[in-house]
Amino acid sequence: MYQQLSNLSDRELISRARKLKDREAEGVLLERYSHLMVAVCLPYLKKNPGTGAQTVFPQLLQRLSNGLKVQSIQKANEWVHQTIKTYFAQPEKQVPYYPSRESRDRLHTENRVEKAANNTIEKQALIAQVKTAIAKLGNDDRYLMEQFYLENKTFADLAAQKGTTVDKIRNQLKKAKSRLATQLTN
Amino acid sequence: MPNNIHNENEKLLKIFAGIRCLNKDQLPRYLEGRLTDVEKHLVEQHLVDCDLCAEALLALQQEGLMEQYPSLSTGIQQYIRESIKPVSQVHKMEHYARKVKQRESMLIYFWLAAFILGGGALLFSISQYNGHKPAAARTAVPVVSASVASPAPPPAAVPVDSTQLQSSHKPATLAAAANPAAPAPVIPAVKKDTVKAAPTVKKPIVDSAAKKPPVAAPKPPDSSKKVADKPKENTAVAAKPAAKDTPAAQIVKSKEKENDKKDDNDNKPKTGANAAPATSGKVDTDEYLYKAAMVYQQHGDLDEAISRYKHLSGTSNSRVSEMARYQMAVCYRSKGQMGKAKRMFKEVVRMDGTMKQAAQQALDNM
Repeated sequence: MYQQLSNLSDRELISRARKLKDREAEGVLLERYSHLMVAVCLPYLKKNPGTGAQTVFPQLLQRLSNGLKVQSIQKANEWVHQTIKTYFAQPEKQVPYYPSRESRDRLHTENRVEKAANNTIEKQALIAQVKTAIAKLGNDDRYLMEQFYLENKTFADLAAQKGTTVDKIRNQLKKAKSRLATQLTN
Repeated sequence: MPNNIHNENEKLLKIFAGIRCLNKDQLPRYLEGRLTDVEKHLVEQHLVDCDLCAEALLALQQEGLMEQYPSLSTGIQQYIRESIKPVSQVHKMEHYARKVKQRESMLIYFWLAAFILGGGALLFSISQYNGHKPAAARTAVPVVSASVASPAPPPAAVPVDSTQLQSSHKPATLAAAANPAAPAPVIPAVKKDTVKAAPTVKKPIVDSAAKKPPVAAPKPPDSSKKVADKPKENTAVAAKPAAKDTPAAQIVKSKEKENDKKDDNDNKPKTGANAAPATSGKVDTDEYLYKAAMVYQQHGDLDEAISRYKHLSGTSNSRVSEMARYQMAVCYRSKGQMGKAKRMFKEVVRMDGTMKQAAQQALDNM
């Protein structure tokens, strides 16, 4: 059963946990993101030595478990990240997860691409739209997108070329992608 | 060239390809640079979108944190497995127990419903059986009165039927109204006199008033027809009781007849003026009581009808008394009490009234 559940996508696990009240599916989903949770929480735990891992992680998991039952979750990674952020920012307050506009545009475009995978006509139309949207981007953004996605350059290569950090390159690419998604959505 | 263009187009779509987060194995390998080029590119494509993975990688790149990471990540995974799976097992057990309970309760409800339905069906069948019994009796009465006892009952039965059709409640209410007044004179007569003695004692008193005017006049055509159809039988039937009767009874009868004639001759001027108005009120009451008893009989309440007929059998009105006895015999016959029915029919025959022939026929048919 565990093996079968671990092969399911995030969306299917969330659906099982919500509709069927399947605790195992909930466990598999939380376990999938547990190592990332630990890694993200480590700097906060280091900053606040008073708060131990034995109290933080159970509370966080409980909060995630509660949120899973009541919130509509489109992307599990964003939901986990936002929950951790709000937990450390406001430990007493339980802020509901709500995806940003950019996130929703990206999700919408991803769904369109996924749907067009088996439809050649739609695929061609989508490719044409993406090309026009990329052409509308700024030179810097367009260059980065082309180098990263078409030439398969790494963050490190691009950072070395631009003379900046990997994190800055990632952020720039993220913004360029969001702009692209917004153009395609509208 | 077309291949290059095709690849380029595919790569354009991969900008928006959905890629999963870094798994527990990929995270340290990416940091250590132990991923293949393709794998590394896929991870970096995902990192463009995913703040969680990017922040996790940034956090693990800090000094000292990477050492805590493996123990904490295995610890949290164990915690999740321990907290979720036992709960899951408990949940499953609860679910199973709930299902079993539901099944049991459903079974209980089913048996309860079945029991209630069975009980209801039994009660219904009993009520149907009880309701059916009188219905059979009801159907039997007219058949008997039409075929076997056709010559005699019409004078009494026809008016009862007509009044019933017009106002079915009337006789009952009348009987109820008459009851408090009527039983007072009737009951002592029944209790004091024996059944056999009643006709002999009462006859001379009532004969003059009752026999002559109402009984003789409305002889229905049916009775005359039937009598005409079977004259031989009737004569034979009439002869039989005469042969069967004891000599003492014959003497009594002859005496009674003589007395009747004498009374008739003596009282002719008296009854014409005085006796008729005096007895007419009582006759009416007896008629009503008789009709009420008939209603009970037709509704299937044979016991009540019999008790009412018993009261009436002791009345001074010989015609009503005779009819009451005859109907009582019919009731007994409907109830299956053939001995009592025979006795009553014989009494009617002995009374030698208008019902004699019908009673004799009924006796012969039994």
